[in-house]
Amino acid sequence: MLTVENLSVRYGAVAAVRELSLELGRGELVALLGPNGAGKSSTINALTGLVTPTAGRIVFDGRDISRTRTEDRIRGGLTSTPEGRHIFANLTVGENLRLGAATRRDPKGVRADTDRFLALFPVLAERYTQAAGTLSGGEQQMLAISRSLMSRPKLLLLDEPSLGLAPRIVAQIFDFIGQLKTEGLTLLVVEQNATQALRFADRVYVVSSGALRYDGPPAKLADEHGLLNLYLGG
Amino acid sequence: MDYALQQLLNALAFGAEYSLVALGLAVVFSIMGLVNFAHGEIIGVSAYSVFLAAALGLTSPIVAVLLAVVAAALAAVTFERVAFRPVRYAPTTTGLLTAFGVSIVVQNLFMLLISPKPQSVSILNSLNQMWFFGPFAVSSLQVLELVVSGLTILALVLFLNKSTLGLAIRAASRDFATVRLMGIRANRVIATAFAISGALAGIAAVFILARRGSVSPDLGFGLVLKAFVACVIGGFGSLAGAAAGGMLLGFIEVGLLVALPQEYGGFKDALTYVIIVALLVYRPEGLLGQRIELGDKEI
Amino acid sequence: MSESAEIMAARPSDTAPRAGNPQFHRSLVGGLITALPVVAIGLTILAFAPAYYTHLSLAAFVNLIIVVGLQVFMGNSNIANLGHSAFVGIGAYGVAVLSTPLAMKKLSIPNAPFGLALVEFNPLLAALLALCVVGIIAAISGKIISRLSGVAATIVSLALLIIVHSVFLNWTDLFKGNQAFFGIPKVINLPAMLVASVVVIVIARLFKDSRWGLQLRASAQSPQAAAAFGIDARRLRLMAWVLSALICGLAGVLFAYFAGTISPKLFYFQQIFITLAMLILGGMATVTGAVTGVVVLSIGLEFIRSIESGVTIAGIQLPQLLGLSGVALGVVIVLCMAFRPGGISGRLELDEQLSRLFRRNAR
Repeated sequence: MLTVENLSVRYGAVAAVRELSLELGRGELVALLGPNGAGKSSTINALTGLVTPTAGRIVFDGRDISRTRTEDRIRGGLTSTPEGRHIFANLTVGENLRLGAATRRDPKGVRADTDRFLALFPVLAERYTQAAGTLSGGEQQMLAISRSLMSRPKLLLLDEPSLGLAPRIVAQIFDFIGQLKTEGLTLLVVEQNATQALRFADRVYVVSSGALRYDGPPAKLADEHGLLNLYLGG
Repeated sequence: MDYALQQLLNALAFGAEYSLVALGLAVVFSIMGLVNFAHGEIIGVSAYSVFLAAALGLTSPIVAVLLAVVAAALAAVTFERVAFRPVRYAPTTTGLLTAFGVSIVVQNLFMLLISPKPQSVSILNSLNQMWFFGPFAVSSLQVLELVVSGLTILALVLFLNKSTLGLAIRAASRDFATVRLMGIRANRVIATAFAISGALAGIAAVFILARRGSVSPDLGFGLVLKAFVACVIGGFGSLAGAAAGGMLLGFIEVGLLVALPQEYGGFKDALTYVIIVALLVYRPEGLLGQRIELGDKEI
Repeated sequence: MSESAEIMAARPSDTAPRAGNPQFHRSLVGGLITALPVVAIGLTILAFAPAYYTHLSLAAFVNLIIVVGLQVFMGNSNIANLGHSAFVGIGAYGVAVLSTPLAMKKLSIPNAPFGLALVEFNPLLAALLALCVVGIIAAISGKIISRLSGVAATIVSLALLIIVHSVFLNWTDLFKGNQAFFGIPKVINLPAMLVASVVVIVIARLFKDSRWGLQLRASAQSPQAAAAFGIDARRLRLMAWVLSALICGLAGVLFAYFAGTISPKLFYFQQIFITLAMLILGGMATVTGAVTGVVVLSIGLEFIRSIESGVTIAGIQLPQLLGLSGVALGVVIVLCMAFRPGGISGRLELDEQLSRLFRRNAR
């Protein structure tokens, strides 16, 4: 589904990501873990094209998208829920969902999907015509993920879905992520919260200082204390 | 009473025109942070297009109005494509100075290619008549300014609140990167914003031509300076603020015209600016502006 | 240098620059090196050029002082200032009103208020008084501007220009309005202008390298980080604004004293365009950039103006091309912003460029 080869991102003299290679199979849920400043968000932004990598190749769904514009990557079925949610605070909940479906031309399908997310998250239905900025953090995260899903992506990149949320809400969000996986969606979840991220992950990558430190099943990561410490110690 | 009504209409008409131009500036600023000093030259291109078409034999005022609006929208989109796209992600000062440069270039091109002197344009004069309602004499142009500006602003509000592209523009004013993550093309959003901004300038150009009956290279420059001031008092980047600021400016100007003795009439502009700067002392962020929140992590 | 290191270096707890401080010495020498090309050009003109060019170069030196003044605010605060000609105008009109001989005043401003038609100060005193006026107006406008965000500050600087211009035009009893104000004593020659230019260049450089200049540049780059170190950006912006205004005012004083005749339109948008384009082309981050831009554009514009007024090439008389120089100025600004936002000089001063060059050769 997604192959990343030797991806490097630099901001001036600072190397944020160094020769990172990743592989995601269809229907897989892969967790990308690492401490603060490890280059996780830079990786995601390079995948969506919001930052331009200095080197490397990104192949998505059989096509090389390394030079493709962000908008066209999204239209090709890759989407991302950015860190900090970035819901459009000045628009209503409904308008946020509508923008998520901006690339679709099937009004019926859009309505069906909208109804589905409103049923899943009743609070979104209650607040449908209110400014999204008035939602709580957890509700905003539900809206942000729903909004991403409105474009019917093949691959969803989730950047720190647990950021700043209460443990109960985090568990709820990850239950939903697990459900998405069972529905066949391919997911790459970037996290600092290892416990939650490892609940449903098929495989785990650990990055630190922009480079890959571990690649394998979650069970083994828990055994290798050194790696876990490296990552938790940040 | 008659006099008071007349001055009220004056203020509303001036205010409406400032609001139109200020809204054009605010639409562009809110989504890409560009302080478009070349907005006046968009008005200029529009007015000179009408001048050239009239010189080539155009006689229909309706066609002239359409031409003015279309030419302005095209000019705005062209400026963006040629000059502003290279500095799209640059700091605000860079964009501001670029726009200032574009403004100088276009103003001087009018001088170079047409003439430094004002040229007469009479095709839209028919918009400026006296209408009589019983005992009242009213300028048709002022009524048109008020009605057309009101309708235009209404259409803009509907567009921004109902259409997907309008929603995208509103969303982009806060968070452009995330709008792109929705698969919405940045170029299209920006081109639309410029086209709207240009169309608003084109409508203003029609009013200016109808009132002055002539074009000159610095036609739009002074008006845009005032519109900027309207944006600043309204709160830069806020659309409602731009409209309100424009109206306030109209009222301040007419108020000064009424209050100032004849021999001090020349100080009207200076005093207008003084009043506005004084307002900023009390509200540095403008009437409807918000303190910009720094520190959100950029994506 | 990284941003945070620069801010660290700019902490308020640093001692003020003073004689004996190595940084102060380096800046002083650096400023003098930056002024060297200007001195060389000035002496060459003094020695060889015909009178017509001496007059042209005087105007160019006035522009130089304005651009250096502009750099003091724009280069350090990174806020566009489009109103600096207001201060040039106040300086020029200040000395015009204060130092013009009484006989002349009887003809030009017999009805001047506050008894100004009946006073005649010597040029030096008049200059000092005019600069006081500039300083006061700068302090008041700066108080407002330093509180605003960048964009609003720029717009207010424009408003200031329009207010001042409008006062010149409409306060006819004092400023003669649209008509030329003549009879100002012509007391400035090229050597005096040269000295003033060097002094101004050195002052601008000393300010830039002072702890205030450094703090201001740091806060322009990263407002929150600077605020976290206790840097008061408003006070620093105000300081730079007033210094910039005084330098521009001085340029106005010198202009009035060499030209003898002034009018309001000289201190309006045309001058803003030219000086801004010079600063942008040269590079606003450095004093060297200001100097470079003035030298390059002054020569370039003189060439374009000769075409503009209609030249004869190979026996064919070309028509007048009014507006050509304006187009050129605008194109210079637009192209610079798109392709080289740092201008010709970039981030390094002349002496820094030279020492880097020598170090590289030495290796």
